[in-house]
Amino acid sequence: MSTETQLLVAPQPASGRGRRKAASPRKKLTVGQIVVMVVLAVLVLIVASPVIYALLNSFRSYAEITKDPMGLPTQFTLDNYVQLFQQTDYGEALVNTLIITVATVVLLVAIVPMAAYGIERVGGRTSRFMYILFIAGLMIPFQVRMIPLVKGFNEVGLYSTLTSVILVHLGGAASFGILLYCSFLKSVPIDVEEAASIDGAGRLRTFWSIVFPMLLPVTSAFVIIQALGLWNDFFIPLVFLDSSSAGTINVAINRMVGLLTSQWQLIYTGAILAIIPSVAIFAAFQRYFIKGMSVGAVKG
Amino acid sequence: MTDQSALQGQTQVVGTAVRLSGEGPLDGAPDGVRDDVPLVPKGTAGEKRRTGRFRSGRWVMLGFIAPALVIYLLMVIVPSLQSLQLSFTDWDGISPDYDYVGVGNYEEILTSGRFWNAVRNTLILGLGSAVIINAISLGVALMLDKVGRWQGLFRTAVYLPSLVSAFILATVWKYLLNYNFGAVNTFLRDAGFPDWARDWLGDSSIVVGVILFITCFTLGGNTTLIYLANLQSVPQELIEAARIDGANSRQVFRHVTWPMLAGAVTVNMTLAMIAGWTIFDQVMVLTSGGPGFVSETMAFFIYKVGFGEYRAGFGSAAAIVLFLVVIVSTFAANAYMRKREIQA
Repeated sequence: MSTETQLLVAPQPASGRGRRKAASPRKKLTVGQIVVMVVLAVLVLIVASPVIYALLNSFRSYAEITKDPMGLPTQFTLDNYVQLFQQTDYGEALVNTLIITVATVVLLVAIVPMAAYGIERVGGRTSRFMYILFIAGLMIPFQVRMIPLVKGFNEVGLYSTLTSVILVHLGGAASFGILLYCSFLKSVPIDVEEAASIDGAGRLRTFWSIVFPMLLPVTSAFVIIQALGLWNDFFIPLVFLDSSSAGTINVAINRMVGLLTSQWQLIYTGAILAIIPSVAIFAAFQRYFIKGMSVGAVKG
Repeated sequence: MTDQSALQGQTQVVGTAVRLSGEGPLDGAPDGVRDDVPLVPKGTAGEKRRTGRFRSGRWVMLGFIAPALVIYLLMVIVPSLQSLQLSFTDWDGISPDYDYVGVGNYEEILTSGRFWNAVRNTLILGLGSAVIINAISLGVALMLDKVGRWQGLFRTAVYLPSLVSAFILATVWKYLLNYNFGAVNTFLRDAGFPDWARDWLGDSSIVVGVILFITCFTLGGNTTLIYLANLQSVPQELIEAARIDGANSRQVFRHVTWPMLAGAVTVNMTLAMIAGWTIFDQVMVLTSGGPGFVSETMAFFIYKVGFGEYRAGFGSAAAIVLFLVVIVSTFAANAYMRKREIQA
């Protein structure tokens, strides 16, 4: 199985990187390279500076922040972090965000690769029609469907539930998923499935035991892109979760900005806590990520 | 120019590889043609056997599509059509009934100064950020390509800031730009330029520029990775050949690297523009469209009108206009850039 996967990935132009990179460590660093490294490091620091500022201020009190906005923390204390969970709904919002992210990603992986496989293998006009139907969704901004969706969820009593947010996300992500999986599935040889079906496996089992594992590179890219997007999303939960729900972390922080006007330190703390899981997702899947992004970039 | 005809073959290869992806969403029609290509050779031998043996195969495949299709139809297609219907009504978003008002909403939109201001801001922020972010990303990708040793480390470092969401970044900036206690004004006052301190988000003459700056305060993230992957697929032999012919680095970039990146530019610009047309988070967080309506974008306008001002019918009409803008600009930009690609 692993050989199949490698074969599929190998012809990507991105793999040319491997060869070029392997050759470079033997060379000595040139002056130009050192300059480039310094410039890049400075740029990263500049772009990260707001986050670094928020991190430093999450260890300070409101009085300290307003007295000397550019000051450094005088002591390492997690008071703000404790207060954030005691004074606000942040904990609940964190759980909500986690539920939305995990449930959406799991459901997407359960339905999208299968649908893409169906679209690719059903053949003929149906195949083309279904593909175009799904891809059209990429050009429909969320704002276009937002008002009727709120109306619809109100009618069926699902408004301001996590279910509504998950369903809206599923619809929005389906198009991108179909695009990604279909472009990859075109390169999966039909012979492999044929061989499996001769052994008497049903189509469903053929898919999950033979085809799905081959799609791993796409699945990892898809899961990571979606997980980060879901975790970071603000607009959809803002529209679909009203004050009867604690909201997601971004919605909760947005409410805190309006309510806790003299508690800047809690906003900074909430912002830092919201970033940590993104970095964790990235760190955990970093290898797949860069590879997946380049496959995704060049292919899908 | 003479080298370029020699490069043509190569360019095409890379071009199509990139295009496989970009094409689908961005200009649907040509895709249909290409879609069929892989299916035909696959079928030839297997097709007959399959249809014979799996009489029900077609229905099974449709069954595979069904769950995603049902959700997609209910969550995307049906509401979009409903939006079109609502755009011809005076629905307030709450009461159970509404009246049809014909094209009244559209007439009002097209004559509304507030709406055109939102369109202008969307153009500045959407198109402006697309161009600037692409320029930054390409620059960073070129530098990453030159780094050599520790490239992986630098690539990760460059990517890390883009993990912070637009929402969180805008929220932190909101506090950095606070007039009294914000870090920016404090820094300016401490550095001896107290006159430069401003009400960054409350001054209607600069507020859109400030939002643009914050939107572009990035090293590109995914955009940079896409450029880097494409840069690294430029064959070294081409660059060396150009060097031997006496081209300096600028000429190499202009005549070898840049044409080879054409496909990536198309993909990245189109993605950035689609994101740009619907820019919302930054406006919502930083200014809520203010002062007054000065910094509203189209996405924010739809949200505000539809939910904040209880004019769901009017908001739906604005959403349909946004949809048309996205479609037209995406096709137009693609047509333009594709042309450029072929010439390159």
